[in-house]
Amino acid sequence: MARVNNWQLGREMSYWYPESRPDKQFAAVFDINKCIACQTCTLACKTTWTSGKGQEYMLWNNVETKPYGFYPLGWDLKLLEMLDGQKWDQSGEKPVYGGSTIFESAPAGERVLGWRPEEEDYAYPNVGEDDCAGQIDGGTSFQMPHMAWFYYLARICNHCTYPACLAACPRGSIYKRPEDGIVLVDQGRCRGYQECVRGCPYKKVFFNPMSGTSEKCIACYPKMEQGLQPQCFVNCIGKIRMAGWISKPEEAREDNPIDYLVHVRKIALPLFPQFGLEPNVYYIPPIHVPTSFTRQMFGPGVDDAIAAYKKAMSEGDDDLAGLLGLFGSTEEVMSRWTRNGETITGFNDKGEEAVRVPLREPVNIRPAYDKLYQITRVNCP
Amino acid sequence: MKTLFKLTVVCMIAVAVLAACRSRTISPSEVVAVTGQTITDDPAAGVWWGLPYHPAKLILQDLVEPRLMEPSTQEVEVTAMTDGKTVAFRLEWIDDSQDDLPGPQKFIDGCAVQLPQKMETNVPAPQMGEDAKTVEIAYWRADWQAIVDGRVDEITSLYPNASVDHYPFRAESLKKDPKAQGEMEQRYAPARRLGNSRSGPRKQPVEDMLAEGPGTLTRTNAVSRGRGVKTPKGWAVVIIRPLPEGISVQKGTNIAFAVWQGARRETGARKMRTGWIPLILKEPGK
Ligand code: SF4
Ligand code: SF4
Repeated sequence: MARVNNWQLGREMSYWYPESRPDKQFAAVFDINKCIACQTCTLACKTTWTSGKGQEYMLWNNVETKPYGFYPLGWDLKLLEMLDGQKWDQSGEKPVYGGSTIFESAPAGERVLGWRPEEEDYAYPNVGEDDCAGQIDGGTSFQMPHMAWFYYLARICNHCTYPACLAACPRGSIYKRPEDGIVLVDQGRCRGYQECVRGCPYKKVFFNPMSGTSEKCIACYPKMEQGLQPQCFVNCIGKIRMAGWISKPEEAREDNPIDYLVHVRKIALPLFPQFGLEPNVYYIPPIHVPTSFTRQMFGPGVDDAIAAYKKAMSEGDDDLAGLLGLFGSTEEVMSRWTRNGETITGFNDKGEEAVRVPLREPVNIRPAYDKLYQITRVNCP
Repeated sequence: MKTLFKLTVVCMIAVAVLAACRSRTISPSEVVAVTGQTITDDPAAGVWWGLPYHPAKLILQDLVEPRLMEPSTQEVEVTAMTDGKTVAFRLEWIDDSQDDLPGPQKFIDGCAVQLPQKMETNVPAPQMGEDAKTVEIAYWRADWQAIVDGRVDEITSLYPNASVDHYPFRAESLKKDPKAQGEMEQRYAPARRLGNSRSGPRKQPVEDMLAEGPGTLTRTNAVSRGRGVKTPKGWAVVIIRPLPEGISVQKGTNIAFAVWQGARRETGARKMRTGWIPLILKEPGK
C-alpha cells in the first residue's frame, strides 16, 4: 500500500496505488434540500444507459429516503457496522479523521474492507420511501430541526479520487481517466469477479449476469466530453444538481462554482468521507434533520454548512444565493461563474457565456379579479 | 431439451456407476497422459477407467490479494490421454452443489488446466506464470456448459419470473431490419460488442488464455474444447487441448490445476490450486 493525501480526512492514508490525480476531476454538488424524489433522474439514466439484458435491476442513479431507504438494502449501515471508531479530532484548525478507512482496515487477504449484497438486496429499490424517522405525537409543534424527519438522498457513482472499486480489482480492469477523473470499468477486460462490487462502499458497481461483467455509472462521459452535464443532472426536476470540475483545496478558485461551494464556502460535503475514497459528489446537507445523523453521513462540517446555507437567503449572502440559482439553469458544464449586481453568469469550458440568471426571480402578483379581461382567477391550474 | 436432459441423466448415472465399480491405478507423483488413445470429451466414457489417475492435492491461493482464506476442495483427480496431437485431461472433484447460474453474489463452479508455454528448465511461477514466462490456461465453467447444453440467452433463463418492460432492440420498428436490431442490441451490451463473451452465446464451455503473472490473464485463440457433467458427488470435466510442443515419452513438462466452488464464492484469484506437477507421456501398459 502507498501513502496518499486525502484532504477530506485532513491527513494522509494508505491506498493500494500511489497518488495520481487526474488533470481535471469530474465533480458534482447535489442540494438535498431541493430534491422531491420524483425519480426523473433515475429514469433519465435508466432509459439512456441500462435498458439492456442483465441490466434490468440496475440503477446507476437512485434516490432513496433516509433514514430507512437503501438501494441495495442496508448498503451504508452494513459498512458502518464493520468500520469501527469513526472519530474526528476537531481540536485543531481542521478536523482530522482519527478512525481507519476501508483501506486501512482491510482484513488479511483483502485489498479493502468490503462486502457484497445478496441479490435480494437489490429487489426493493424504493424501500422505506417517505418513511419518517419517528412518530408524530399529539401536542407536537413544528420546530427545527424536525423531531420526525426524512430526506431524499440522490446517489450516483462518486468518481472517487481513491476508488475502492479500482483498488479491489485484481485485473486492473477499472481505470480512472487522467483527462477528467471519471472512473470506468473496461468492458473488454473485466472478467466478472465482482471484487469491485464487494469493494465499493457506495455499492455503485453492478454485476451484469448476461454480459458476465461489472458495469457502473459513466458520468455520461460522451456528454461531458462535449461540455454537457450528464442526463440525471439536466433532467432533474428539482434543479438540485450541478456538475463541474473540482480542484485540490490549495488550488481552489473562487470563480469555479464547485470549488466555491466545496472549498471556499464549505456548504457542500462528501458522502461518508470516513470511508476514505475522497468521493467527488458533494451534498448540501438537509437543514431540517438533526445533525447527529447527518454528521455521520457527511462529516464534521455539517453544522457550519447548514448555518452558511441558511444565511444565504436570510442575510442576503448574494454570492452564495446567486450561485445556487445557477443550478439546473443550463445543460452546459460551467467551469466559471460571476455575479454582477443582480445578475449571475455561468461560463462554459471554452470561457463562453453559457447562461445568465437573475439573483431574484421577479415576483408578479396578479389580482384575483382581472379588470382587463373581466374575469375572476381561481387558484388552481 | 428433453433429450438433452435424458442424456445428461444417463451420463451422470454412468459416471456414478463407473466410479463405484472401478479399480484403477494411482499415479501418486505425476500426471500420466497415456499415448495412442482415441480422444473423447465424454467424462463418462469407459476408457478413462483403464488409465492411471493422479490425485492432485489442492492448496489455497494465498499468495496475492484477494486471497482465499478458507480451504474448500481438497483434491482433484486427474486422468489424461493423448492421440499424439491433442491431450485430454479428465478432472473430477467433490462439490455438493451445482452452481451454474451467474448473478450478483452468485459464483460459478469451474476448473482450469495450466501449462508453461515453453518447455524450459526454469519453469514459470506456478501461480499464473511470470514476466516473459508465459503460461497457457484452459478454463472450463459450469455456466458456459449450461449455455452450450442449450440454456437460452435470456434473463428468464436466470430468473424465470423476470418481467421486462421493454428492450429498445425489441422495438416493433426494428423487427424488419435484423442488422439494425443487432447493432441496437450491442449498443446495450458493450462487453459483447468488445468480444468479451464472459457469458451469453458461446459454442465451447472452455476458454483459452495466456498469463504472465497474477492479474494478466488474456484471452487467446480458441484451441481447446471440453465438456463437463455434474456427478452425484461433484463435477467430472474433460478439457482437450493441443499437446504441448516438444513433449515426448522421453521428455515431460509440468502442469497445474485450479478448482472453483461457486457456492463458496470462489472466483478469480479466490481459488484452490496446485503447484507444478510433472506431466509425462507413457505408452499403454508401460
Ligand atoms: S463510488 Fe464506488 S464505483 Fe464509483 S468510483 Fe467510488 S468506489 Fe468506484
Ligand atoms: S430528478 Fe432531481 S428532484 Fe427528482 S429525484 Fe432526481 S435528484 Fe431529486
